[in-house]
Amino acid sequence: MTRPNYWKQPLVSLAVWAIVLIVIFPLIWMVITSVKPQTELFRIPATFWPTEITFEHYRTLLEKTAFLKYMRNSVIISTSTTILVITVAVLGAYSLTRFTYPGRERIAFLVLATYLLPSVVLVLPLYLMMVKVGIANSLFSLVVAYTTFALPYALWLLRSFMASMPEELEWAALVDGASRLGAFVDVVLPQAIPGIISTALFTFIVTWNEYFYALILVNTDEARPLTTGVITMLVTSFNIEWSLLMAAAVAMSLPLIIIFVFLQGYLVRGFAGTGVKG
Amino acid sequence: MQQSIGISLKKLRKQFGAFVAVNDLDLEVGAGEFVSLLGPSGCGKTTTLRMLAGLDFPTSGTISFGDQVVNDLTPARRNIAMVFQSYALYPHMTVRENIAYPLKKRGVPKAELPARVAAVARLLQLEPYMSSRPKELSGGQQQRVALGRALVREPDIFLLDEPLSNLDAKLRAHMRTELIELHRKIGKTMIYVTHDQLEAMTMSSRIAVMRGGNLQQFDTPAEIYQRPANVFVADFIGTPSMTLLDADLHRRNGSAEVRIGGTTIALPDRHVAPARANIAPIKLGIRPEDVVLDEVGFPAEVKVVEPTGHECIVLFALHGTTVKARVPAHVRLDMGQSAKISFRTSKLHIFDRATGLRMS
Repeated sequence: MTRPNYWKQPLVSLAVWAIVLIVIFPLIWMVITSVKPQTELFRIPATFWPTEITFEHYRTLLEKTAFLKYMRNSVIISTSTTILVITVAVLGAYSLTRFTYPGRERIAFLVLATYLLPSVVLVLPLYLMMVKVGIANSLFSLVVAYTTFALPYALWLLRSFMASMPEELEWAALVDGASRLGAFVDVVLPQAIPGIISTALFTFIVTWNEYFYALILVNTDEARPLTTGVITMLVTSFNIEWSLLMAAAVAMSLPLIIIFVFLQGYLVRGFAGTGVKG
Repeated sequence: MQQSIGISLKKLRKQFGAFVAVNDLDLEVGAGEFVSLLGPSGCGKTTTLRMLAGLDFPTSGTISFGDQVVNDLTPARRNIAMVFQSYALYPHMTVRENIAYPLKKRGVPKAELPARVAAVARLLQLEPYMSSRPKELSGGQQQRVALGRALVREPDIFLLDEPLSNLDAKLRAHMRTELIELHRKIGKTMIYVTHDQLEAMTMSSRIAVMRGGNLQQFDTPAEIYQRPANVFVADFIGTPSMTLLDADLHRRNGSAEVRIGGTTIALPDRHVAPARANIAPIKLGIRPEDVVLDEVGFPAEVKVVEPTGHECIVLFALHGTTVKARVPAHVRLDMGQSAKISFRTSKLHIFDRATGLRMS
């Protein structure tokens, strides 16, 4: 053991806090701007603390714009995508780690290979296919599109997670009288929960913040998520509604922040292994 | 107590691609017997156990429990219990839930569960830990929970896969005694996989020694020690191991003698089966306890002395070969010293050098 450096610790903390402050400053500015009255927004010299706090932008946003509709769309798209991705990824990852069949490894790599192509290349064929199938311009089209890029990643995350789970536990369950499915439900799923939650969280965040696919695939308010909806609504060639934009940005971030605060423990645990050590 | 049932393996074979893990194994295990499958890593013992459990299916051959062929039955439909090397306790369940799990899965009425779990907990002295999670327990306690989960269902057959190998030496000795006691109490057929000959020797009614997927010998511990069927078994069983020397067997008028280099050892009458050839190349096996210090013996030099407390393991150099011996601790021998040794000729083991099979 080396002697702890008492002078070093405050310095490190100071550096860490400085970096945190730099990163977080735009977010603080966003929150502050969203509660400043319109008249104060462009005052020179600029004020940091608002002279008066107002929630009028939020009221305008909720009552006079399509913000709530976009929010509803985003919730539907992200939740459905997450459920779909997790269901398929959990079963797929289990199959890839526990069963042997020809071409297993190749399938796993092929799934990931879609990542090698830039989304610009994928989005046009995807759009044409959706037009042909007749689901273009719908919430469902975005669920499908998001699944195409969220699923491979989720599958690989869960695959490595499940590979680290001791197989003997399933054998024990089989010998104890469980069916294969029973062993999966009783033993595999409960142990995979940290991995499932962290993967679900990841999927939800990625789909919630997705912009590019939504911009290309959807051009009706009925199916627009928050990301593209807010921009098209508030940013026009003539004007940017800064106060509303900031209020919308805060309102968009809130669900993620809330989810993250509650589930961050799982995120950490999800990436650390599992299993009982003797 | 329920009747226990025996196991019969006929021409049991398991191949993984071209690799033969178990090669046409024939084994008859009597009801209530404690049989160890013993051998080095990769000898096919665990694969055999997994086929008994139904976790692997045989390539060919049959497995019968009692009169019933169970080849195609899933683990759930065989009335067996298994204890795994890692214990395989369900980490998200309490000790109580772990032990109750097999009962729940077999549809035992809910009302019966507490009493049966409690009975097992009492037997294995697990009562104070029933609400703990496996990771809060010591290795020995986890081991007992794993045993409890196996016992609770009162299966016909117990399969144990190196259950003591993760315990420290002292606890292992203790659990060995407990397992013997347990087997005596419940009287069920037990198949015990181990690579530890001491466990196999102390606990089993019979031992099946395996190597490279082939059964080498299936007999009582005493018989396996005293009359190993071939060179592999002779070398594998016994600590320190048997000294094996290249020698020649000379036969004359019904009597026989062994020649190693310039030394000749006369064998007792009828010690070796008669054969056509008069001179045969052999492996001569000598257990360390059958080497004695003897004033009229062969001159040898003390190479290494390893005291173990109540005795010493001594390596003697004899005509360019090395012979291991057990010597009582009170006999003082120094390295480099010369001594005279002889062998208990009736206890010598003679193996055919070409086939490795026992001749004596």
